[in-house]
Amino acid sequence: MNEPQTTSQLASAISSEVMIEIVDMNKWYGQFHVLKDINLTVHKGERIVICGPSGSGKSTLIRCVNALEEHQEGQITVDGILLGKNLKNLDHIRTEVGMVFQNFNLFPHLTILENLTLGPVWVRKMSKAEATETAMMYLERVKIPEQADKYPGQMSGGQQQRVAIARSLCMSPKIMLFDEPTSALDPEMIKEVLDVMVDLADTGMTMIVVTHEMGFAKTIADEVIFMDEGDIVERNKPEAFFGNPEHERTQKFLSQIL
Amino acid sequence: MAIVTKEKTAERPAPISETSVFGWMRKNLFSSAFNTLLTLFTLYIVYLTLSGVFTWGIVDATFIADNRRECYDNSLTGACWAGVIAWFDNIFYGRYPRDEIWRINFGLFLLVLWMAPLWMAKVRGKVLIGATVVGLYPFLAGYLFAGGDKGLFMQVMISAAIVAFAINMGNMLTGLFKNVGLNTFLINLAGQSKASDKTRRNVLLGMFGIAFVAVYIWQMGWTAERVGWTRWGGLFLTLVISGIGIASSLPGGILLALGRRSKLPVVRILSTGFIEVFRSVPLITVLFMATTMFPLFMPEGFVLNKLVQVIIAVVLFNACYMAEIVRAGLQAIPKGQSEGAHTIGLGYWGTMGLIVMPQALKHMIPNIVGNIIGLLKDTTLVSIIGLFDLLGMLRSISKDVPWLGLHKEPLIFGAILFFIICFSMSKYSRHLEVKLSAGEKH
Ligand SMILES: Nc1ncnc2c1ncn2[C@@H]1O[C@H](COP(=O)(O)OP(=O)(O)OP(=O)(O)O)[C@@H](O)[C@H]1O
Ligand SMILES: [Mg+2]
Repeated sequence: MNEPQTTSQLASAISSEVMIEIVDMNKWYGQFHVLKDINLTVHKGERIVICGPSGSGKSTLIRCVNALEEHQEGQITVDGILLGKNLKNLDHIRTEVGMVFQNFNLFPHLTILENLTLGPVWVRKMSKAEATETAMMYLERVKIPEQADKYPGQMSGGQQQRVAIARSLCMSPKIMLFDEPTSALDPEMIKEVLDVMVDLADTGMTMIVVTHEMGFAKTIADEVIFMDEGDIVERNKPEAFFGNPEHERTQKFLSQIL
Repeated sequence: MAIVTKEKTAERPAPISETSVFGWMRKNLFSSAFNTLLTLFTLYIVYLTLSGVFTWGIVDATFIADNRRECYDNSLTGACWAGVIAWFDNIFYGRYPRDEIWRINFGLFLLVLWMAPLWMAKVRGKVLIGATVVGLYPFLAGYLFAGGDKGLFMQVMISAAIVAFAINMGNMLTGLFKNVGLNTFLINLAGQSKASDKTRRNVLLGMFGIAFVAVYIWQMGWTAERVGWTRWGGLFLTLVISGIGIASSLPGGILLALGRRSKLPVVRILSTGFIEVFRSVPLITVLFMATTMFPLFMPEGFVLNKLVQVIIAVVLFNACYMAEIVRAGLQAIPKGQSEGAHTIGLGYWGTMGLIVMPQALKHMIPNIVGNIIGLLKDTTLVSIIGLFDLLGMLRSISKDVPWLGLHKEPLIFGAILFFIICFSMSKYSRHLEVKLSAGEKH
């Protein structure tokens, strides 16, 4: 299986510093080979979009990056730290890597403000006042500061997802992972979440986004990755990826969703 | 389309069957001849029963008498409550020395005061208050009830409990009258409100440290007279056993449940085995085993008194039942919650303590209270192995010479007592459930 190698032409926003390096990584669920010989390098400030059919291993791949899942073979290095069985490393990685889920995973028993300050206060040992200030700043940035005292259950899906993004940002992560952040949302709410993500991309955050929003991918992606059955099939600049897909599996997939 | 309703339709009162008592009765009780007959028949049965009970228990009953003979002389068909009344002290306090009974009442009073802030909306730090009730109060109360020499450990725990109690009361007062926690109040008093977090913490720790030393020195000056556990009994003993059972079975159950879901095989297998063994054996068997077999496993010369053995058995037994309740509650929380917690860097205990447990406990309240009620009632089994708890006391009335053979009245009295306690607990749990689920809408 040959991955079509594309020599990555780094755009100006991208530094040469490597943020994530995955080398010959393999993962199994029991007997099922989910991820096969994955090699991937992500530089600081780079924005990667991952797409592919359902069950191709996209979620699993990014969950391996923040150690929510264990991999069995190969190496994953995040921000210079090798992921392994060392628990201290794992704790460190989780504070440096933010993640946004399809189902938001907000804490329903806490108010929005408490959702946002929990990590900074308990993990970063920030004072409550300072954490509140940071939280309000990020709520401002995702455009819902007036909802701070509500509970997640009282908000729309789009608002909840923006809170989830703000919650991750409050930990000042170096990398943000997004797993289909808009696929549980009604169409009219997708845009408000994507807008927030575009804003975030503007700030130079390193991002890996699993999504099927192709318009969004064209706007922000430095590169698009196509996965199928546990392989990274194709990796390319968005124009080339959408305009002139090389692999036939990519062509077939794109013809289905576009 | 044509206009259907031109004017706004005026509101009319609901039909009589929906609003008045008579309407309701006509609809539900007397809607047909057969229904009417059934209603009248049921009412007659209820009347017969209640009037019988009323005549026996109140109208024909004897309340003042010196022995059972006098009861009979007064009325042959009525209850003899005089026997129960004469035994009131025994029923509530067992054979606790009569001069020392104030210690039990005082202990109970302390508990009420200690827990009172939990119900006050304005008071902060409820988790800490709850933790000290479970972790420190039992030592203070235990010494108050048992007395005797204080070992070093007991001296430390008693002093800590007294300091915690004082802090708790101070915190309650500042919360009620000044609307701030005691910590903020003290910091302001010391003029340190602008200082850094660290200095403020040190100032507080300093103050509490001084208080602890003062209390420690003070408590060295007195001891309470020793009252052996064999003199404990009645409702007091029932409450001691079930109180300790309740206070420790929940934390124990949480640990066992977490153990059963642990990723470490040894912890998991041990917890599972422990839970399954205790759940497959009746409590009475566990009690017998605890009192007869436990001593065999203990080192030579190490004698645990029977009460402690019984309490250990009750705690272990109920912790296992709690564990299964907690496990069910934990399973109801979606996996996404702990994943969300992990991504903001919370470790295992942070995730459990801040995210998963608080949500799970809310779902578990009805089952937990159900279990607590069961525990309270099950403690009556200790009367079988020779402790004089409430039931044991009630049954010994019939062996007391003046009241020889008086069985019915004490047992009915006990049933009423248990009903009052258990029914109010279950009512309260219902209230709690409604209150907690009203706070947040999903
Ligand atoms: N915990 C698990 N245990 C066993 N198999 C799993 C587990 N999680 C995922 N899988 C399987 O691994 C494969 C890849 O799953 P993954 O969730 O990574 O796919 P995906 O590309 O994110 O798909 P989707 O677009 O549906 O989210 C799927 O076939 C899935 O059934
Ligand atoms: Mg997925």
